[in-house]
Amino acid sequence: MYRLLEFIRRSYVTLLFVVFEIIAIGIYSRSTYYTQATILARANALTGGLAGTITDIGGYFSLASENRALTARVAELEQRLSYYGGLVDTTATIDIAELQYEFMQARVVSSSINRARNFITINKGLRDGVMSGMAVLSPSGEAVGYILDCSERYSVAISILNTSFRTGCKIKGDGYSGSIEWNGGSPYEVTMRELSKYAQIEVGAEVVTTGVSHYFPSDKLIGRVESFELDESKTYYNAKVRLAADFSNLHNVILVKYIDREEVMGLEHGAQSRGY
Amino acid sequence: MHRAGYYILLFAVTSLLQIFFFNNLSLWSCFAPMVYPAFVLMLPLNASSIVVLLSGLVMGVVMDWGMGTAGLNTIAMLATAYQRRPVLNLTLGAEVVRDGGIPSMSRMGQHQFVQYLIIMMVLHCVAFFGFEAFTTSYFWYQFLRLVVSTLASILFVWLIMSLFTPKHASR
Repeated sequence: MYRLLEFIRRSYVTLLFVVFEIIAIGIYSRSTYYTQATILARANALTGGLAGTITDIGGYFSLASENRALTARVAELEQRLSYYGGLVDTTATIDIAELQYEFMQARVVSSSINRARNFITINKGLRDGVMSGMAVLSPSGEAVGYILDCSERYSVAISILNTSFRTGCKIKGDGYSGSIEWNGGSPYEVTMRELSKYAQIEVGAEVVTTGVSHYFPSDKLIGRVESFELDESKTYYNAKVRLAADFSNLHNVILVKYIDREEVMGLEHGAQSRGY
Repeated sequence: MHRAGYYILLFAVTSLLQIFFFNNLSLWSCFAPMVYPAFVLMLPLNASSIVVLLSGLVMGVVMDWGMGTAGLNTIAMLATAYQRRPVLNLTLGAEVVRDGGIPSMSRMGQHQFVQYLIIMMVLHCVAFFGFEAFTTSYFWYQFLRLVVSTLASILFVWLIMSLFTPKHASR
């Protein structure tokens, strides 16, 4: 007993170190991207205000380029508006899919591109009507990520530049779908996997969202094909895709709410729970 | 009391710099400097091992909370704190360590200080990026990230340590 006490007295720092490390490693190894987003969302309830102020100061210096991007976006929307105006005149119908989404603007409070799991914190939360699952687009309408967790005033989105991120994608104008993922490497490039060998793929082709994941509306630009090759089984293409959104210069985002998301997912869960 | 205030200020500055500035630096994906270990590196040379370990634990938990990393910073910070005394004994000698003082170039000597800074920051960055890379493959990319971030961290920590070293505090 005396020897044991003496051992503990002499090596209690080492014992404490081992205990603390085991606890920390246990917590980290069980954590998922969702755990990390939840911690960030809670932390932002306290630190979000200061982070927002710092971002405001930084954002002041990029106002010129943001204004140029917004002007281009306004011009594009004006063009679409005149198109729909023309449809009304000719009694043609409007695509009902466009009416299934609500759009909202938000400011980026903090974001990173230099981690394996990157997140984007924005300055709108539950009180503004933000909820998990909403798509996050760049001001030009390119896919950026989707909301994971919200506090009252802030929300945390998983970025495409997160090794846990997955979403459906396809070549624009083609029916075959694949999956987008980031390997933790270049922040300008993602990988498109398991695209059917029958897909019409070529270098420079636009890669867009499929719209079947309930996160993103369909046909939102993700990036452009840089290179591609068939996998070993010769049944699927794997392609390198140059991202359209510039994650290193992201100050404002557009949030997209799929109005029928809860209803559709409820139906799907119901069908699954009945064993279909 | 004066010294406690100094370390509270150092803790606040290093953690706030990391959370609000360095974590949001979106210059290059390989560039992820860590400046918060400066707090543990600057604890008095003769600080007891348990004080250093608990300081590392507190800093690690605060950084995990601020960065949403769920234990990763605590793992790296504990390893850094635990290794501090052996590294100091190795670079400076046990007798000089017992004499105390704030680790600085004037207190330790240029060569020993640089050795101490590099060894400690390499230990910290290897632990941090090593555990983070468990979730990904791409060894060479992760290795480049480790090298770039470690070099940047050493530079920034050296700057912070220089700024926070009181001119008359060689002991």
